[in-house]
Formats: sequence, structure tokens, C-alpha cells
Amino acid sequence: MDIFGYYIPIELFFILCIIFVVLIICSSTFGIISLMNKSDSVSELVVRTNSWWKMAIGITIVATAPAIIGTIVLAYVVFVALREMLSIIPLRTADRTVLVASYFAIPIQFYLAYKNYYYLFQIFIPLVMFISVSVILVLTGETNRIGRSMAIIPTTLILTVYMPSHMVLLFHVSVSGFTVGAGGLIIFLIMITAFNDIFQFTWGKLLGKRKILPKISPNKTWVGFIGGVLTSGVLGGALSFLTPLDYIKCFYMGLSLSIIGFIGDSIISAVKRDLKIKDTDDLIPGHGGAMDRLDSIVLTTPTFYYLLIFFIEN
Amino acid sequence: MRKLFVTLIYTILVRPWLTFFIGVSFHNIKHLRDADQFIIVANHNSHFDTVSIMAALPSKLRKNTCAVASGDYFGKSSLTVSLMKLFFNAILITKKVKPGELSNLEVLDQRIKEGKSLIMFPEGSRGNPGTISSFKKGIAKLLKENPSVPFIPVYLDGFGRVLPKNKILIVPLICKVRFGSPLFATTNDIKTTLEEVKKEILNLKKKNERDRNQFEFY
Repeated sequence: MDIFGYYIPIELFFILCIIFVVLIICSSTFGIISLMNKSDSVSELVVRTNSWWKMAIGITIVATAPAIIGTIVLAYVVFVALREMLSIIPLRTADRTVLVASYFAIPIQFYLAYKNYYYLFQIFIPLVMFISVSVILVLTGETNRIGRSMAIIPTTLILTVYMPSHMVLLFHVSVSGFTVGAGGLIIFLIMITAFNDIFQFTWGKLLGKRKILPKISPNKTWVGFIGGVLTSGVLGGALSFLTPLDYIKCFYMGLSLSIIGFIGDSIISAVKRDLKIKDTDDLIPGHGGAMDRLDSIVLTTPTFYYLLIFFIEN
Repeated sequence: MRKLFVTLIYTILVRPWLTFFIGVSFHNIKHLRDADQFIIVANHNSHFDTVSIMAALPSKLRKNTCAVASGDYFGKSSLTVSLMKLFFNAILITKKVKPGELSNLEVLDQRIKEGKSLIMFPEGSRGNPGTISSFKKGIAKLLKENPSVPFIPVYLDGFGRVLPKNKILIVPLICKVRFGSPLFATTNDIKTTLEEVKKEILNLKKKNERDRNQFEFY
């Protein structure tokens, strides 16, 4: 359908309407509650919902605007996430040259993804950046604890740049008879990942007893995990109209994204425990830093992309 | 016209560049809301320190605020001097004062008496990131001479990694500018005042680390 002369697929319009209606309901409910009850937990909810508004607007822009704008927005988000990761990891002064090189990897990686140079996109960070980082570190000449930096910087690049950059490749997925476009795929991916966090949290709070990873995140329970995985699968099936797949494949997609999202969350949690920090930053009020929000999506993005390609071809 | 140009540069270029590219965030600027004249006292790790504090100030206060800088370091070429004067209203002080001229302390005191605010780094030179070295006495003497002027402690976190001493490469990394509330020196004793000022900055540092290291499972 057309909105002010701008074409938006009807499915995309429908799901965006639902998202914003839910946000309006949340905002007004919490607003009314906060008028009567001025406790910290209520104001925390209000702050969180306000941040969700901003994130929802960002997602809407990525999903509906032309690919070039979506790519630039995603590249900037990845830049913020990488900056945050590099800030919390203790690195040496001699690593500063390599850090600048790491930042330059972002525009190159996103350009390759935007142009759909598939092979270069695949090898740029795991191969070219891996070698470049080591070479620059060697040329810097500071050998004390150099191995640590050689390991940590490429890992950070893979986690925060390579993985989420797969989202840009979704702009190039074309299936005959599929009219929703990349926007639908992006909304599907982000909604499953975000709601999976909420499902796992809610199931764990309601029924959870046995902890699944007591040393890393004591709030994660077996009931939360299994309940979250199943609910995400059901949500995946329900959102199948956003993808070119049928609802059974979307159910499996929901299950896999949920498991992988849990793993991504746990990885970042473990790193935060190691560094003795609660949040990676205080960029998004009520949520912490960018990496606290992106922790599960960094792993679900490539999973979604490759599973999607697999399901389309088979 | 000149002031408008400087304000525009700060609001259109410097501040967005600092927040969106470098990753600087400003905390507790509300403490400056009722401030009129003050001496900002901060730890010093980087050339970014002065720029960030200047960018954090509301434009009304910025016009009236002078950064105290080393004339031995910045006074070498006339271009840097004029740039420092244009953007930071810099007061350049030199270690060796020519005979017949006012001493550094007298120059600063005169500026305060004129109603100007100051930005001072009592460590003198840029130190190692994360450590605060001993303070020079000038700030305490100024506070003693002007008991009606409060000092505002500022803790700068992370700038030593963005641009450390003797480096030219700028690396975007998260930094924080944390303002404390305006305070008056409680005694006339220079040593005690100096310790008070340092304690306030260290308190801000602790608060900054507590914010970051709040260890809470969820």
C-alpha cells in the first residue's frame, strides 16, 4: 500500500502498526501507574519503554527506508557497539593503531555487504582483518602481552562487526513470489530475538527454579530457557507471513533463533562477569549500553541468514 | 560576531563530533545550571580534556570561561596562540615570568576579579591514564584570595586512551565528563584546601567506577 506516495508492503505496515499500538498501550499504562505509584521499579519501566520507542523508530527506519539508509544506520549501530566493546576490554596503549584499523573495517565490511560482493564479504574480517591485526601488532613492536591482543581484537571484530553485518545481506534475498522484501525479514529477525529475551525472562520469573548457568547468569533457569524456546517457535510460526517460508519452517526458525539468542546473551554476560561490570555502558536509559541490547542479535543474525538461505533452497 | 562563530562551531561541530564519533558523554551538567562564576578543577590526561569541558558548558557560561594553559607548550607559534585564545579564551602562563610582568597567580587573580571563570588542571602536566598525580598549590591560593568563588570538581574518564600524551592518533573510545556540585573552600589553609579539592575529584572518580562496576546479577 502507498503512504504519502511511498510504497510499504501491507504485511510490513500491519506488523509495524501492531508494534506501535503495543508501545502506545505500554506507555499509557505505565504513565498512568507512575502517576499513582512513584516507586523506582515503575519509573524504571517508564524509562525502559521510552528507550523501546527510540529503538522501534530506528528499526522502522531500517526496515522501510531504501537499502542504502538501512546500511548506514546499521553500520553506525555496529560502530557504537564496537567502540563500547573496545572501551571495556583492557587493552595496551600499543594497541591503539590496531583499534583505528578495526574501526576502518566497519565501512569496508558494510560496503561489501551493500554491494553483495559475497566472497569478499565472507573473507574480509575472518581472513584479511585477522592477518592485518596481527601484522600491525607485530609492526608496532611491543611484544609484552601481544598474544592477548592478537586473540582479543579479531574475536571482538567477528562478534560485533562480522556477525551483525549479515543483516545487510538480507536486502539481497530475492525469492519469486515474495513481495514483503528485506524489511519483513529484518522485522522478523529483530522481533523473534527481542521477544525471545522477554519470553525467557518471563518464564524464568514465573516458574523457574533450577538454574541453567549459575556462575554466569543466575537469573537464567531451565524452565525459562525451554519455555522461551517453545514460545519463540510459536511466535516464529505466527510471523511466517513476513518471510518467504511456510509456518512450519518458521517454527523451526523461531526455535533455532531462540537457542542461539540464549547463547549470545550468555557469551556477553560471561565477558561482563569477567570484567566485573554490570552494563557495557549507559547509552540507552534503562537498558545499559548498545552491546547489552545487541548481545543476542549478534549471533542470531548470521543464523537467521544462513538458515533462511538453506530453507529457501531446500 | 566572533562569539557567535565560536558558539556555532561548538554546537554544530565540536559537540556532535565528541558525542557521536569519539564517544564522550557528559554527566551531571545540571550542577552548572545555577553557577555564575567558578573555577573548574579537573584531572589532566589528554588535549581532549579542555575541549570536552568547554563543549560541556552552556554557551552562556562558555563565553565567560578561560582555560589556563601552559605558554611554554602552546606559545611556540602564533597560530596556536590565536586558536587557543579564540576557542578556549586561553590564559597562557609560563614557568619563567619576565621581570616587571605580573606573576602567573596575579594574572589569574586579576581575571577572576574581572568576573571570569577558569578551567584549571592542578596536576600541571598530562599524567598517565587512571592516575591522579600531586596537585600544585596555585588553585588553593586562588580560592583563598577569592572566597566568594566556588570550585567545581570534574573527573575526566577515558580521555587518556583517546589521545594520550605524545601521541597524534585519535582513537574513538567511550569517555565520561563527570561534574561535581560547586563547593567553597572551608578553610584558609592552603594545604587543607588542596587536599579537599583532590578528595572531591577522587570521590567523583569512585562514583564513576561504582556506576560502571555496579555488580548486580540479572
